[in-house]
Formats: sequence, C-alpha cells, structure tokens
Amino acid sequence: MKKTLFFLLACCFLTGMAHAQDTVKIGLMAPLTGSFASEGAEMKQVLELLAADLNAKGGLLGKKVELIVDDDGSDARTAALAAQRLTTKGVVAVIGTYGSSVTEASQTIFNEARIVQIANGSTAIRLSEKNLKYFFRTCPRDDEQGKVAVDAIVKTKAKKVAILHDNSTYAKGLADEVKAPLEKKGIKVVFFDALTPKQSDYTAVLTKMKGAGPELVFFTGYYSEAGLLLKQAKQMNWKVPFMGGDATYNTDLVKLAGKEAVTGFSFVMPPLPKYLPSKQAKAFLAAFKKKYGSEPSSPYSVLAGDGFRVVAAAIAQAKTTDADKLAGYLKTQFKDKDALTGTISFNAKGDRVGDVYRYFKFDSRGEIALQK
Amino acid sequence: MEEFFQQLTNGLAVGSIYALIALGYTMVYGVLKLINFAHGDLFTIGAYLGMTLLASFALHETIGPFLGLVVLALMVMGLVAVLGAIVERTAYRPLRESPRLSAVVSALGASIFLQNAVMLIYGARFQVYPEGLVPETSVDLFGLYVPVVRILVLFVSLALMAGLYAFIQKTRIGTAIRAAAIDQDAARLMGIDVNRVILLVFLIGPALGGAAGLLVGMQYGQINFTMGWTYGMKAFTAAILGGIGNIPGAMLGGILLGVIEALGSAYISIAWKDAIAFFVLILILIVRPTGLLGERVADKI
Repeated sequence: MKKTLFFLLACCFLTGMAHAQDTVKIGLMAPLTGSFASEGAEMKQVLELLAADLNAKGGLLGKKVELIVDDDGSDARTAALAAQRLTTKGVVAVIGTYGSSVTEASQTIFNEARIVQIANGSTAIRLSEKNLKYFFRTCPRDDEQGKVAVDAIVKTKAKKVAILHDNSTYAKGLADEVKAPLEKKGIKVVFFDALTPKQSDYTAVLTKMKGAGPELVFFTGYYSEAGLLLKQAKQMNWKVPFMGGDATYNTDLVKLAGKEAVTGFSFVMPPLPKYLPSKQAKAFLAAFKKKYGSEPSSPYSVLAGDGFRVVAAAIAQAKTTDADKLAGYLKTQFKDKDALTGTISFNAKGDRVGDVYRYFKFDSRGEIALQK
Repeated sequence: MEEFFQQLTNGLAVGSIYALIALGYTMVYGVLKLINFAHGDLFTIGAYLGMTLLASFALHETIGPFLGLVVLALMVMGLVAVLGAIVERTAYRPLRESPRLSAVVSALGASIFLQNAVMLIYGARFQVYPEGLVPETSVDLFGLYVPVVRILVLFVSLALMAGLYAFIQKTRIGTAIRAAAIDQDAARLMGIDVNRVILLVFLIGPALGGAAGLLVGMQYGQINFTMGWTYGMKAFTAAILGGIGNIPGAMLGGILLGVIEALGSAYISIAWKDAIAFFVLILILIVRPTGLLGERVADKI
C-alpha cells in the first residue's frame, strides 16, 4: 500500500516537473486591486505585450515564456501571500512591485525561495540595504531622486520651502532626503508635515502652509493628492509654485487638477518612453498603442517592462534559469544600452546604476517639457 | 484670526458632506439597529452616476446650468435610492429575524460587492468630472477667499438636511418612521406597515448619500472607487459623535467633526488630524456615552 502511494506521488511529482519544464515561467506581482490598481493594470498590460512579443520571436531557451500574475492588493499583507503563492508555482523570476512598503513585505520570501525579484516602482533606500542576493530594481533610489530634486529646488532660487509628505515609506523617505541638504545650503524649510492620503479636501493643509509663507512647496506624495492640492490651491487663489516627487506624475494629473492649475507644476521623474530617443522605446510605444488604444500613463509600468526585458535578456545570455547564476550575471556582466528607459546595469546591491531622474515642468497647454 | 476663520469655512464645507452621509447611517440604525456598511459605497455610486449622467446627457448645457444640475441631482438621488432599496431587499430583509451579527456580516458583504462592482464597471483609475461645471471663482467674504462651490455645497446640504428634518417632524409618514424607531412591535400594532417604513428609510438615506457623492464630485472633481470607505468611516464617526439614531445629532456630529479636523490640523498637527478627531470622539463618549444628542432614547431618529 505504502509503495503504491509512493509510486503515485512520484508519478504526480514527475508529471508536475515535466509540465513545469514546458515553459519558462516569469511572475508578475502587481497591485491589481487596492489604491494603486491603475498602476497594476498597466504593469500587466505592458508585460503581456512584451511576453507575447518574446514568444512570437521564439521564446527563451527554446521554450515559451509563461506569465504568472498575482495581485498584491497595494497592501503589505496581501503581498506576502501573493509572494508565497508565486514561489509555489515554479517561477524563475518575479517582476514587481510598485509600492515600497508592499515590496518590502515580499522581499525575504522571494529571497529564501531563491527567486530573482526585480521591483519596478519601489524607490525606498532601505530595500537594497539588506544584503538580499536576488533583489534588483529598475527604478532608481530615493537618494538619487533627492539629489536631483534638491538641485532643482536650488535652481528656482526659492529661499523658503515647504515640504509636505504623506507618511508612506516612500514619501517620508524622500522628504527626509531633501530636507537636510536644503538646510545645509541655507534654504529654510518653513513647513514640514504630512497629509492624510485618500481624502478629497486638503484646504486645511493648504491654509496652514500658506500661513508659513513658503516660496515653493515640495510635495513628495502621490498624484491624486497632488491633483487635489493644485486644484484647491488655485481655488484659494494661492499662487505659490509647486514641485513634486516622481509619484506626483501620471498622465491623469492634467485631468485631475485641470489645465490651468497644473501650469507651472514641476517634478522629478524617470522619463516616459516618449522622451527617450531610442528605437526600442518608440517601437514599444507604437505596439502598446496598437494593442490597448492609448500610450502607457505611468513610467513605472514601463520600468516593469524593463524588468521583464532584463530577466529575458539575462536568461538568454547566461543560458540558464538558475537564480544564483542569473543574479551573478546581472550584477557583474549585464549591460543593456537599449532598454526602454535608457541604459540599464546593476551594482552589487542590485540597484540600477546611473542617473535616471529628469526634471520636468508643465506648460500652459498641459504638456510636460524636459527642463535642463 | 483670518486663518482661524479660513479654517472654519474649510471645516464647515467638509463637515456638511460628512453630515449628509451620516444621516443615512443614523436613520437605518434608528429603525433597524443595524450599521449599514454599504452606505459609503452607495455614496460612491452617487458620485459615479453623477459623472456618467453628466457625460451622457450634458443637461447643464441643454437646459441651463441651474436647472440642469437640479434635474441631475434628482436623477442621481432617485437612482441611488432605488439601489438602496434593492440592497435592503437582498442583503438585509432575508436576515431580519436572524442574529444581529449575521446582518452586520451581510452589510460588509454588500459593501465589498458594491465597491468591486464600481471598480469593474468603471475601472480602477481615478475618474474626473467635466471641467467648468461649477464656477471656479472665489468670493471675497470679509477678507476670506471662499470658493463659490463651497458655499453652494454648504447651502445645498443644509437645505437637504432642513428638508429631511421637516419631513420627519411634520408629516404623517415622518411620524410613522419615528414610531417605528421607538418600538417596531408597538408601531405595527398601531397599524403602521413597518416593512414599508424600513423601505422608505432605505430610499431616503441612500438618496442623501447619493446627493453627497454628487456634491463631492462637483466640488473636488476627482472620484475613486474607494472614496466611500474614507467618507463612510468619517460619516459613521460623525453619526456616533452626534448620537447614533438621532437625526439632528448626525447633522451636528458631521459639521462638528469637519470643524474639529480643520482646526486640529491648523493648530496642532496635520499628520495627526484623524487622531485628533478620534480623540475628541473618545472624550465625548466618555462624558456622554450616547453621543451629543443621543440622550432621550424615546426620541431616537
């Protein structure tokens, strides 16, 4: 009896193995529900497009690539569950995810399961300071972003600056990252506080900030709040310039704030592909528009796409799906000059090397323009 | 001092919306002793319906801005009211005789269902009301810049609340609702059709919630499928603050909560705004466990 059971189990296991080897499985952990659901939906679209494209060209190592998508719900607890589910499905690498605190909950799970993880939107510094062997990210870190933001603020010649964040891992981190260097340069931070995200009325915050008399407001939170802040500042007739971190931009921002209120708003961000001259980016944009009807609205979904391309290129060039070899290859040899968002290579911590951030400003037509 | 009054108007504008939503919680609690967790999502649906109707009929362009918005508000209120009645029929009435906990779980289920339905129908992106719907200008009130929209929203919600109060206090049906709130069995013995009263409550509450959704959409322009949770939470707090089950209490609680939030963030800390609001709630509940106006049990609703 025992023997038959063992035999049956072995059969199941073997067929399972055989099945698993039919395809190269790449996971995507994305916020398909919850407050960042719009980001997640686009990440999925980008990866499905790229996977279909790769399969049309013959796949990887002679096999088709299969995308396994799981939902992190924009929430740390849901993400831990999603990560555990993904590890049981035989994925060789995982792309994702967006929020830093959400990624943080999944990092050690993937690391212990020896799965390469490439985050696309998690910019908090401490994520790559934990000596995790298999963690990478295609987005830059907040200290990088902070530097670019400080430079931009200095250039505006504002002497009194208000800094507003929303207490999330990312926004608070960036706000802290900007505050100290500004004070060192003799720029006064007259206001430093956090708003409560996901509300509609920020007039109380604005009224209080206005009382502090800043010449520039630097907001490190997300775009829906940025839209409301801009719109309500205009309704209050307060004409202070606003600047934002990379989460304040989304193509929807113009709609949310209105063209007039968004004029003059500036922000630092990794560039959207439409601002990149590369052929790959243009081809990708055209394919995306053809399949889904409009261009991607967030730079992070494109960075997820880059994560997928990195994994695919590494597997193809290192000719293996072994996590140790892949991670080693990515850290030491990998360099892609033709990624969707520019050149990609990684340092020993798994962080992307090079300056990715750019400084943008809205003009009166509601279009963004690259600033020098 | 100027900042104080500016913050006061900010608080009043937010508070009047809280109050309008709180009425739905408090009325249902009054007659059924049930927290209608789906109420926040009916508010969301009001906001989305308003946007859809605006986009498809553009009434404000064809029959004039004022009349257009009135007709639009009536349509939204009517549709959300019907939806509220459907929720009552499907999620609450079958559980009328079961333990209270079952009804609460059913209410939570209805809330999750509605929220996800909105997300699946409209998508997860933020949606935006058409621009130029309401005047974007501000008026100068004794040195304070107050956007015209805010004044409009404040007056519309006050008018709706006054209307409801008169309806409950002065009409026969209002008396029946009050009677059912005091004692359902006795009301039934007096010849009141309690089921109809409950249905009516589930028409009026959601209608007001839907109107609040429309007002939020018009005022802030930006709506999202999770907005019902945030507003619902605050409105529920407001209802408890004022004494749940008590209609003037919900109005007072809502406006008070808005003002406390605004002044708390002005003079203590913005990041601690919600903590301050809930701290005040706890203080009030320690001193008056039934809420501000929830004293006379016989006068519930």
